[in-house]
Amino acid sequence: MLTEEFRMHSHLFGPRRFAAFPFFIAAVVGAGVWLLSATDTSLELIVGGLFVLVLFAGFQVGTIGLVGRDAIQDVIGDMTLLVFSARTLPVSRRRLLFVFLFKDLLYYVALFLTPVVVGFLPVVVDGGFTLAEVGLLWVTVADTFALGIGTSLALAGVASRSTATAAGVIALLTAAVTLEPDLLLSLSPYALYADPGVETVLSGSVLTVGAVVVGPLLFEPPTRDRVQRVGDDRYRQFQRFGDALTARPLVEVTRSSGSVWKVVFSLGVLFGVTTLLLDRITAAMGIDPSAGIAFGTLLGLGTFTTYNWVTQNDSDREYLRYPERMRAVFAGKRRAFFLLALPTGLVYLALAGVLFPGLELLLGVVVFPLLAVYVFGLTAYMTGLSPNELLFNTPLFALYSLGLMLVAVPLLTAALAFDEWPVAAAGLSVALAVVGAAVGAVLARRTGPRWHDRLRAES
Amino acid sequence: MSAVETTGLTKEYGDVAALDGLDLSIETGELYALLGPNGSGKTTTIEILTGQRRPTSGSAQVLGVDPVAEPVEVRRAIGILPEREDPPSFLTPREYLEFVSEMRDIGSVEERIERWANRLEFQGVLDTLSTDLSEGERQRVMLAQVFIHDPDLVFIDEPLVNLDPLMQAQVKTQLREYCEAGNTLFLSTHFMEVAEDLCTRVGILADGDLVAERDPRTADEDLLDTFATRVGETEAGEDPTAEVRAP
Repeated sequence: MLTEEFRMHSHLFGPRRFAAFPFFIAAVVGAGVWLLSATDTSLELIVGGLFVLVLFAGFQVGTIGLVGRDAIQDVIGDMTLLVFSARTLPVSRRRLLFVFLFKDLLYYVALFLTPVVVGFLPVVVDGGFTLAEVGLLWVTVADTFALGIGTSLALAGVASRSTATAAGVIALLTAAVTLEPDLLLSLSPYALYADPGVETVLSGSVLTVGAVVVGPLLFEPPTRDRVQRVGDDRYRQFQRFGDALTARPLVEVTRSSGSVWKVVFSLGVLFGVTTLLLDRITAAMGIDPSAGIAFGTLLGLGTFTTYNWVTQNDSDREYLRYPERMRAVFAGKRRAFFLLALPTGLVYLALAGVLFPGLELLLGVVVFPLLAVYVFGLTAYMTGLSPNELLFNTPLFALYSLGLMLVAVPLLTAALAFDEWPVAAAGLSVALAVVGAAVGAVLARRTGPRWHDRLRAES
Repeated sequence: MSAVETTGLTKEYGDVAALDGLDLSIETGELYALLGPNGSGKTTTIEILTGQRRPTSGSAQVLGVDPVAEPVEVRRAIGILPEREDPPSFLTPREYLEFVSEMRDIGSVEERIERWANRLEFQGVLDTLSTDLSEGERQRVMLAQVFIHDPDLVFIDEPLVNLDPLMQAQVKTQLREYCEAGNTLFLSTHFMEVAEDLCTRVGILADGDLVAERDPRTADEDLLDTFATRVGETEAGEDPTAEVRAP
């Protein structure tokens, strides 16, 4: 499977682009760490943020279990992989999927997490870290990633048996994160990083070992073992939101594995990241950033995942066979995207109102939808109907990241500055979001003709 | 009147010439098959003629419209079935045919859907998710979407793939009737017997060039022999121009 994975990516994106990806990651992280250090952000906070991001990246990778084969095929395209060979090989599907995820763990550690940690090496030169500490960071970050994958897998396993129980477990975890964060931290790999010793080697492994053992045991690969007759009128009902091109992605999202919950989960990851980061920033820097701007920005950026879901079943060339302009196709995608992303994001903003001052979150209600317009325009313009191309297509990924950072960095800076200059920060964030939305709208309008021409010229 | 006309059509993918100056003329009402080995340019020809791909050079007319300049207009008038294409997994055949009908601006489609479902015998799975259909059922749904808007010209890549023998016979009859009504059919196939049984003219494509055309109903030489000789000559680098384009 490792050979297969390597060949697939180098085939899809070209060997040079693929080989450049780890270097790009190391460079971006190195630049990010340097920039944050230059703005007096403590190393402790930077590393804390890294652990949070890696944990959620692990969640995201582990959700492949939640979304099933159709999503796997969406990510990798029309290919035959060993993971799908349970019918021809004397190996169980459960074992194949377990090996697939284990391979993912090795793969991400080698090509993603190692470059991330390498990005911290300049800090060694600076005297902020020893090489041994960097080594410890690498081990504990990899451990955290495994914790994320195992947790997602375990949740997927519970959900495959009972959705209500899964919701209960998520509620329990949320309560534990909110009420007893220190206890959870002491049982996580972060404990080993913060205070290396025999005791923390043991205590810091509790959650990872638990998740990695329980996850595969509970996990039941989603199967389609029955012919599904559709008695509902969903397709026609969804047409009321626009047209057939709007109804189709909505039907596909709601009927494919994970249904609309994959949209909720994906934005939920961003909600969790924002909540934790705000908590850590307040604790470490002693400032009170704007929760509204922070949630609005990160949830807005997170709508990229929604674009992924509304295009997951598409074959772009199919639309070239209809007497319909690509402009109409993307307009349908846009409507479906907003119908899914906006209510979900607004619900999370309302949920944030439980933890943060409600009035302050009104800024998020303004920033979030405007940023979603920007993200839709940028993503559709750059990736067409194949947003997964961003994975490991280094130049495209770099350009896309730059496009997001152009808006996200000033907005997050405004969130941090809100404590000291609330009026200016609020005004700036709204102005930035409006400009972003305008740019997104222009890009969205140009997307159809651009992709119609590109697909027809494709070699 | 020509339903399809191409002049010097070429298509290059990097260093590879998929089409090398293709000249083609298909009259209205013809049942034309393009036969050729893998990679000979059949799919590229269909994609250019249906406005899905731009040629590197040359010109084409489909029902009097230029598919390069006006791809949407061409697609409006024709039906297309590409090879190895399934209906969308999470729509039912009924929903997919409704979707195609809306793309083609056809109102009141229920009767059309029922008619095609009965004709191609998939009425029993009209409300089953496409992902749960058999390969043959999916192919029948795809065939229905080709004809649902009563086009004057259809392009079909491998029409009989995955169909059982009875359904193959039924589809052949359907295709003949379609052409007898004055419409034009453009097939691309690997199957010699499909071309021989069904078509009024067969073109043999090798290395992006039309190396022979035959009327299988009147030709003295066996189509397989023509195919083997012409393709063999082309692949051996010999000049295949003698007798070429003489139906």
